[in-house]
Amino acid sequence: MFSVATASPYAFRVTLEASDVDDDVALAQRIIGCAPERRDAAAEAELCRRLGPRIRLYGIKHLRSEAAAADLMQDVLILLLDKLREGAVREPSQVVSFVLGTARQTVIDWRRSGARRTRLLEKFPIDLLPSESSDDGPEPIDAQRLRGCLGALPERERAVLVMTFYDDRPADAVAAELGLSAGNVRVIRHRGLERLRGCMAAEEGAA
Amino acid sequence: MTRAKCSDLQTQELTEYWLGELDEAHEQRIDEHLFACAACSARLGALVDLGAAIRRTFVEGWLSIVLPEQFLRRIIDAGFQVREYHLPAGGSVNCTITPDDDFVVSYLRAPLQGVKRLDVLIDDTTSGKHRATDVAFDPAAGGLVTMTSTAYVKSLKQSQQRVRLVAVDGVEERVVADYTFNHYPS
Repeated sequence: MFSVATASPYAFRVTLEASDVDDDVALAQRIIGCAPERRDAAAEAELCRRLGPRIRLYGIKHLRSEAAAADLMQDVLILLLDKLREGAVREPSQVVSFVLGTARQTVIDWRRSGARRTRLLEKFPIDLLPSESSDDGPEPIDAQRLRGCLGALPERERAVLVMTFYDDRPADAVAAELGLSAGNVRVIRHRGLERLRGCMAAEEGAA
Repeated sequence: MTRAKCSDLQTQELTEYWLGELDEAHEQRIDEHLFACAACSARLGALVDLGAAIRRTFVEGWLSIVLPEQFLRRIIDAGFQVREYHLPAGGSVNCTITPDDDFVVSYLRAPLQGVKRLDVLIDDTTSGKHRATDVAFDPAAGGLVTMTSTAYVKSLKQSQQRVRLVAVDGVEERVVADYTFNHYPS
């Protein structure tokens, strides 16, 4: 069950990883506690910084577009802040469920209507929204090191990784082009990724 | 609702999720877990970044690689400029590359029916001898499509590259075909 005061179409509940979610809940409580007299801008910014990358990844996965994923991230975070400030989210512990439900429904709506955005930006400053590349994200991949590691892979693994990630193709599609089984491609792909990671880590350690 | 535990979401499952290989219910469980678990979300983000970096490395022409012809067709259809050379078994060709070329590919015709493992031996007057073992190929395709690193070819002065296809069966090796590329800078 969703924890928004208004009727919700999202009839599910996310089971939370406690260690990660406690901070999200605490931030939501701070925002609710301040509303409506004043804003806790620091809590709002931190909540957006934490949840933004997850929404963006969900958007890329389901919309296959960086631009659409950025739009989704903005729209969901703006709606979340709106609901928190209004006190419409009764249970702060359900903030992650609210975010996933909103993201899921927004993707469905966009697919159904062809429209991508329902803007609320006029009501909110956009400086709260995290950039597409999070500041505290992983180190950028060293392109030169990656070239060396890809070049050192066995031929089949290099071919399968390129064919897979050139346009994010599933194993059965790659297998059809190579004359292999999908299961075989999954095994080669997994080995290739593990070997590539190992090479990148070893090179990093040696640097 | 079944809870997707953090320890369950290893690279293989995240890869299958990302590439749309899971059924809808399984995919939804992972969606939910990813929203609640920063560690798994970060791990997926790293996988996505690595995939994008592989794509970028390939598109920028840094890789020499054997690929199926259908895949090459998709690259051409996507608008990349591909310089192609077609060689029969035993053939040779004078070749070059221009600044506008995104990729250089060679179609090496060869009888591959019955071949279990195929190695490619390269003898290059610039970079020396190399052996690519167990390349991916379709025996029914009647040949092999090889792509040479565009970055490497663009750096070449006049040079020659001899390519030999070798069928391997256990400890036995059999020469399938030889090809010669005489490269001249554009």
